[in-house]
Amino acid sequence: MDRGDIELIRVLQDETIYLEKSPFKKAAESLGWELEEVLERTKRLKEAGVIRRFGAALTPVNAGFTANAMVAWEVERHRAEQAAEVMAGHHRVSHCYIRPAFEGFPYNVYTMIHGNSPEDLNNIISELSKIAKVNSFRPLHSLKEFKKSSPVYFPSKKS
Amino acid sequence: MEAHLLDKKDLFELDEIDKKILNRIQGDFPILENPYDEIGREAGISSDDALERVKSLLRKKVIRKVGPFFDARKMGYRSTLCAVNVPSERLEQAASAINGFVEVTHNYLRQGNPNIWFTVIAESKEAIASILKDISTRTGVGPIHNLPAEKMFKVKVDLKITD
Repeated sequence: MDRGDIELIRVLQDETIYLEKSPFKKAAESLGWELEEVLERTKRLKEAGVIRRFGAALTPVNAGFTANAMVAWEVERHRAEQAAEVMAGHHRVSHCYIRPAFEGFPYNVYTMIHGNSPEDLNNIISELSKIAKVNSFRPLHSLKEFKKSSPVYFPSKKS
Repeated sequence: MEAHLLDKKDLFELDEIDKKILNRIQGDFPILENPYDEIGREAGISSDDALERVKSLLRKKVIRKVGPFFDARKMGYRSTLCAVNVPSERLEQAASAINGFVEVTHNYLRQGNPNIWFTVIAESKEAIASILKDISTRTGVGPIHNLPAEKMFKVKVDLKITD
């Protein structure tokens, strides 16, 4: 990544441009670049995986997924990867990570699961438990959202 | 459940065209001069209508953003999930101290112990450590468990809406 990429990334984070007819032209104008340069570099960033996805983020609740939970699973170290892969393959699992366990909390595989109803969610959890062969888990239902925001990369003013 | 619940009425207003648009732009917003030409063409509507639909989906909070999602790590950033248990009488104060950092992107109260779970994205491991230390000092809560992913298997909110 060079300096140009960083300048472009700053501008692409302005979500208002995607509500314009020609978002990338807008980006080009504010950078003082040619449109082609913006399109090419953006595609390159996507190919390189720096942009892992370009598109819309659903609000799961509002797209019909009314029951969502983070579920932490306790899996023996030697088969944690295998179990995580199986869970990640489920189409209602949006995120799946191995994280360290800590004192009093032996769970090491984390999943975000999305269901249409509490029953649906419970069914998915049972299904995952079965297919990944993990019996010890803890659903961490959210009680309150304190914050949900997009990260800000390369802020132009240092705070 | 969370902040932006939608009226049932609005949910029923998602028609086949909305669903087509959503399934397309979730994963693959066209990187073209006029992306809405293509989005519209695929959904069988005009470019202007496609743009209006996307605006309306945002207004109704069916989607919360359109734009790029970056791989923080590939840009040299580090991210982590943190968990801390906070007594109920100090929840609000601790939550607002945690929210005060721009590097904190998600913060939830969850069932059980620990009860506060938040994510941090910052320029380095050291920057994350210093934010966590700051939070401890300001709020007096702890220990804050720092749980960076050892391995990532999936990170994609791409839920097909028609199933």
